[in-house]
Amino acid sequence: MMNKGPDTIIERFRSITENPREYAKSLQRKGQLLAGYMCTHVPEEILYAAGMIPVRILTSHVSQAMTRSYMHETYCSFSHDCAYQGLAHHYDFLDLIVTSSSCIHMGEAFNVWVRFAGFQGKSFLMPYPHIIETKPAAAFMVESFGEFKQFLEKFVKKSITDEDIERAIKVYNHTRRLLKRLWEFLRRENPPITGPEVATVTLASQFMDKQECNQLLEQLVQRLVAESGKGPPGVRLMVTGGACDDLRIFDLIEHLDYDASLIFVDSCTATRYFWFEVPEGRPDKLQAIAEGYIGRIPCPAKDNVPGTGEKKRFRFIQQFIEEYKPDGVIFLYQRFCSPQPMDVVALKPILDKLGIPSTELELDSTVPITQFSTQLEALVEIIRGVVP
Amino acid sequence: MNKGKILVGLDAGHVNTKAIIMKGQGILGYGTVTTGFDVVAAAEAAFKGALETAGVTRGELAEIVATGIFRDMMKVPPLNVTATVPDYMADAKGALFLNKNSRTVIDIGGNIHKAIRYDQNGNLLDVIQNDKCADGLGIFYTTMAKALGVSEQELSELALKSTKHVSVAIHCAASAESEAIDLMCQGVDIADVADAISRFMGERVAAMCTCMSLAQEIVVAGGLAKSKALLKHLPGLLKQDVSVLDLPEYVGAIGAVMSYEGGK
Amino acid sequence: MSEHEYALMNEQLDWKKAKAIVAGVDVGAVSSKVVILLDGQPYAVSHVVTRTPKESAFKAIDAALAKTDLTLEKIQYIVRTGRGRTQVPFGRETISEIACGAAGAVHIWGQSVRTVLDAGGQSCKVIHCTEKGRATAFLWNDKCAAGIGRSMEAFADLVKKEVNEIGNIALQSDQFPKLSDFCTVYAQSEALDLIRSKVPVEKVIAAYHYAMAKRISTLVARSGMKKDFVIIGGLAKNPGIINWVESNLKVSRLAPKPEWDPAVAVALGAALFADAFNKPQQFDA
Repeated sequence: MMNKGPDTIIERFRSITENPREYAKSLQRKGQLLAGYMCTHVPEEILYAAGMIPVRILTSHVSQAMTRSYMHETYCSFSHDCAYQGLAHHYDFLDLIVTSSSCIHMGEAFNVWVRFAGFQGKSFLMPYPHIIETKPAAAFMVESFGEFKQFLEKFVKKSITDEDIERAIKVYNHTRRLLKRLWEFLRRENPPITGPEVATVTLASQFMDKQECNQLLEQLVQRLVAESGKGPPGVRLMVTGGACDDLRIFDLIEHLDYDASLIFVDSCTATRYFWFEVPEGRPDKLQAIAEGYIGRIPCPAKDNVPGTGEKKRFRFIQQFIEEYKPDGVIFLYQRFCSPQPMDVVALKPILDKLGIPSTELELDSTVPITQFSTQLEALVEIIRGVVP
Repeated sequence: MNKGKILVGLDAGHVNTKAIIMKGQGILGYGTVTTGFDVVAAAEAAFKGALETAGVTRGELAEIVATGIFRDMMKVPPLNVTATVPDYMADAKGALFLNKNSRTVIDIGGNIHKAIRYDQNGNLLDVIQNDKCADGLGIFYTTMAKALGVSEQELSELALKSTKHVSVAIHCAASAESEAIDLMCQGVDIADVADAISRFMGERVAAMCTCMSLAQEIVVAGGLAKSKALLKHLPGLLKQDVSVLDLPEYVGAIGAVMSYEGGK
Repeated sequence: MSEHEYALMNEQLDWKKAKAIVAGVDVGAVSSKVVILLDGQPYAVSHVVTRTPKESAFKAIDAALAKTDLTLEKIQYIVRTGRGRTQVPFGRETISEIACGAAGAVHIWGQSVRTVLDAGGQSCKVIHCTEKGRATAFLWNDKCAAGIGRSMEAFADLVKKEVNEIGNIALQSDQFPKLSDFCTVYAQSEALDLIRSKVPVEKVIAAYHYAMAKRISTLVARSGMKKDFVIIGGLAKNPGIINWVESNLKVSRLAPKPEWDPAVAVALGAALFADAFNKPQQFDA
């Protein structure tokens, strides 16, 4: 039995992120049904309970313009790229695609798949509340999840039992705990794993079979406990923002002219994906899932505490700042995204008050390396108080 | 010897004004001048230049026919144009004249690009024009040539020497320019940057064309049709064969003449 | 050298007598600049048009050294900055144009400076700094505001005027149509359309400047304004842009100093860093 060091395991995750479709097809060859999802507001546990593997659709980073005939120019690159992959028939092998009503741009990408990429008979759009911090939200979600469950039962021609769902909840909670454990290594001054590596593993987990993922994660965490730091640590930088599956940017952060470490990523392609748990052992499974998903770090498209105008996400961010102690913050959002930059406007004054410098990077399918590295190096210089 | 009247076609575009002198089916001369903001002066200059190359005097002309975005502004002295032809019509007729088998012309100009489908008589069947975010491809090309320190011709030649596929942002010319500069500052070979620029333009034109069905033969017109590098990418992006018309930037001017009474 | 390029030298200084010979090289997207200091005093300055970063760096340093027998090898410390800094084959250290811009601005205008607008050819940044010229925060333009400076050149070509002329022409009109002020592509396209409405070229020039100035002002407003306010970079010399940036922000910038072209402030900042690194003690870290 080969003794897998952490680097080997991380390499396995990385190669999966570099070939997501090949990985997904390999699952299919083992007889698995695959359900693609475009937004993390999809209750994966119900899909898993139905015997399907949820596979997140991520971007191909191809600079293309064909989707402009289908979606407006001013929709984000992430949505254009997802639409493109449908139109280019990259994911024809999926048995189903699912999304929840979240942001308009991703909603349109989903519509493109349904209307133009042949997913008419194999799609499901789930209504999902926008103002989650309200009493009616949970009941709304339970009803919506109920309809989804009924649809799936017809789709897979099998009933989904409470035991199936409970089992799925436990598997997914296990993934969440393991991923959280992984990110917690970055709290250390000299972690045994780098931020970009943790981000890579987290990204892979979003379209892997969770059982296989959990096995690898367990091994990885076990090995890392015994490992010493990769050091020397540099300036500690935290990322917060929207979907970013471009690992080149995280690598860039750690390959600047200065020593800098990526120590946290608050985005739906990183910690927001899993930083919650679904209550186990409850009699009403859908209610439990709803409660769990309500407890997530909110996406800006769904974050409003009624009556206060407060952003629940900011409480989480402040907590992360306390625990992970970043020296600087990098706002990351897609060009043409609306919700993310709106949060930036409200979040910046909080960071200013905490004395934490920040910079904003606008994402696209291409990465302007010299511009981004200039901004990041300038941020580090500010943190270090560089002056002639 | 060609029979028929001597006619002038004027295509007053956003960036360039083109003039062509024709007698029957023959082309006697032509000239191009930057439009600038004095449209009438530019037209007059283009017109004079064409007359000189044709060796024809003003008195010998039967008519001046104007097309292009600023055609209505030619109706004043000294040109006193009375005959004008809409751009799409002129493009169709001009393309048909230059290639009898053509049924679609893609006109890639200084500020806008458009595609026109027509029948064997040059009657319009369908037209499409770029969306506003894709404005200014010609201007972008000129600016990028300047930024790279080469002529527009050289930019195309450089691009053809590219060995590595790199990409620029695709949303619009401003972001493409920004990223082309970034690539240069990364030390990417200038030929590869030139190719990325050409491919960006091809992508935008092809994106427009997906909104309309194209009929063979497909021909390309406009100033940017002269860029071999752009034309290299277009067929693959359109998934159709294309060919470049002779005198591609004069297609509109020729079409203006043909729409009037030309060719007889 | 073309007419937008120049090189100056202080013939009264003798580099052979200097203890510290340092330089800052700023390779920007549109222009490249070099500042050479002898014992902290300006000795040579050059401003050339950028092509590829590497050749532009050489062009700029050669231009700066053209009238002297000082050679590149004799310069003790060179700091590189600007977009193309990693492609400069000489020099010992790179510092971002943000830190250099702050340092250069305070050196030129003094300790009262707190907000620096670097309005360059390709990008605009707002830099906040301390009285010592230490950068404390910055905002880089969003992508939709990219290339304003270069679009001015393209626009000058379209109206067949020189780029130095159009800024003054812009101020000649009080009333002019409004253009889209969110994006250069839209503004440019709409400006061309104004021809059809027979709007005189001076008014269109004014309209374009107004729109671009508005765009730049939005950036400054988003970043926050604290006086004293200065403007560096190529657009600092465009009176049309300056006028409407000031009126939009309701703040006047400090007037440019005769000794320093605002476009070389970043290169100057880099030279100041070079001077500091060249000294025996560590820089403030």
